[in-house]
Amino acid sequence: MLIRIHDLHRVYEVGSEQVHALNGVDLGVGANEYVAIMGPSGSGKTTLMNLIGCLDTASSGSYRLDDVEIGRMSDDDLARIRNQKIGFVFQTFNLLARADALHNVELPLVYAGIKHEERRKRAREALELVGLADRMKHRPNELSGGQRQRVAIARALVNRPSIILADEPTGNLDSTTGEEIMVAFEHIWRQGNTVIVVTHELDVAAHANRVVRMRDGKIESDTPNPQRRAAGAPA
Amino acid sequence: MNLRESTGIALGAIRANKLRSFLTLLGTIIGVASVIAVVSFVQGMNRFVSEKLLDAGSNVFEIDKFGFITNNDDYINALRRPDLTIDDAEALRLGVRHAAIVVASNGNSERIHYRARHLDGVKVKGESAGYEVINDYTIEQGRHLTEEDDQHRQLVCVLGPEVTEELFPGRDPIGKEVRIGEQTCQVVGVTKAKGKMLGQSQDRFAVIPVRTFQKFKSERGSITIDIKSLDQAALPVAIQEARNLLRGRRHIGPGKPDNFGITTADTWMEFYRTLTGGIFVVLIGVASIALVVGGIVIMNIMLVSVTERTREIGVRKALGARPHDILVQFLVEATTLSLSGGILGILLGVGLSLLVGAISPLPAGVSVPAILLGILMSSLVGIFFGSYPAFRASKLDPIEALRYE
Repeated sequence: MLIRIHDLHRVYEVGSEQVHALNGVDLGVGANEYVAIMGPSGSGKTTLMNLIGCLDTASSGSYRLDDVEIGRMSDDDLARIRNQKIGFVFQTFNLLARADALHNVELPLVYAGIKHEERRKRAREALELVGLADRMKHRPNELSGGQRQRVAIARALVNRPSIILADEPTGNLDSTTGEEIMVAFEHIWRQGNTVIVVTHELDVAAHANRVVRMRDGKIESDTPNPQRRAAGAPA
Repeated sequence: MNLRESTGIALGAIRANKLRSFLTLLGTIIGVASVIAVVSFVQGMNRFVSEKLLDAGSNVFEIDKFGFITNNDDYINALRRPDLTIDDAEALRLGVRHAAIVVASNGNSERIHYRARHLDGVKVKGESAGYEVINDYTIEQGRHLTEEDDQHRQLVCVLGPEVTEELFPGRDPIGKEVRIGEQTCQVVGVTKAKGKMLGQSQDRFAVIPVRTFQKFKSERGSITIDIKSLDQAALPVAIQEARNLLRGRRHIGPGKPDNFGITTADTWMEFYRTLTGGIFVVLIGVASIALVVGGIVIMNIMLVSVTERTREIGVRKALGARPHDILVQFLVEATTLSLSGGILGILLGVGLSLLVGAISPLPAGVSVPAILLGILMSSLVGIFFGSYPAFRASKLDPIEALRYE
């Protein structure tokens, strides 16, 4: 198992009140799964994603990623795990505006301490993989929304992470472009990557081979999706 | 993340906000520029003064009634001392064995007439033979004053070039008669121009024999005696000889202080150094204030920059930047910023001192230590004032930062 989550709690202090954003979550994800996490806002799906992405640590419970307990890691260790094991794709792309596509994709490798030439080479390969070989020198404002998100996907892939973690990856895109992005995810999943998509769109979730539904900080249902619709294939 | 990466990011950020960066840096630019200008200027002055003072007057010392006096009480006391006379000078000339030249001189300021033309505020100097060596005068036209001129109290003079230009425009002054105060003197020579020293003309003078001066000038008073020793090594011996001789002539008992003053170029240099040392400290203080203000402005702009780029910080953290990486990035950015200000300040300061050197008689050189000091100071300003914003950036929570609008 790539991800082993057991009885995970996350409690926030809001004023004098305690908010249980996660209230005892158990979840296991194997390698090369394609999981959609769904749920209404306030269901805890974003909190879960932040914990899986090692941006946050749990109040109690256990989270093992690649058999390593993330529980009480220091900030530096969490940064290292994010750098090496997690590839983020955000709803708002979150590319650096002043840097070109190539440099944006290189960024995780910079923090991984990889030498310049090697970084260039791997960033190029990642951009080619998402079909942006001809846009490497473009800045984000010179790219369309779909292209920006593909740069972000290339960035998520470039350090060969264990998980690609996408948060509403099509939320800022029209449906055609959204489909194009889902094709990109389909592609990288087929290459053996593990993909976790957090979304509230059924269309997006339909591409996953497993759908986890959340409500009130708990997992409501966790079902395989045998009718999964391969992105790019006719509906 | 290495230093090259961080510097690249920092330069990018500066380029992206050119005007803002420039305005931010004004304080640092001015601070560093003034340090450079002050240091270059004071060093230039030092060089200039030591050249002028020590070279012209090397192994020369001066005996007069007062010596080196810097306060009023000493001056009042010194007024009661006996005057130095031509006879003293004559005795020294015969008695100081390590002296090469002994020159007696006196001076005042007077109006000089030639026919309808006149010139005010001319330095009139009574000098005995050898004055040209002590004063470093070279003759341009005619001749210098001689021993005979002095002994016979001749009414002759040598004029500085500025005086002849004013009184004899386009004409030959040699042999002409000018009126210096009450006396009419024949011009026998004109010196070569020496230019200005610290803004003062060195060419606006008239030299007459010192005995002529003592005979005719009403306020003759005490003379000054300049003695050039045989060489540098003989200088202390010559000073001792002169001192013993004068004390003997004046019957000053052992243990009693001199009632005359002996000044060497070193005395002046020392005084000068104390003076410029004071100026130096004050101006460096002012420059430091500018740098501190500049540093605070840099801190402010870095805090703004951290806030503006909260999301960028969040993204970097999500992608694996450790707090330390973010700290270094912003520290390097602040330092790059202040260092750019430092470099601009150095250029400005160097330009300023070169300009001052070019358009005024004040000397100013480019000083390498001053430039290094400027670089060091501006870097330190960046590191010091950049620390707090960088620390804040490094401590941002990645989730909050990513959500920041």
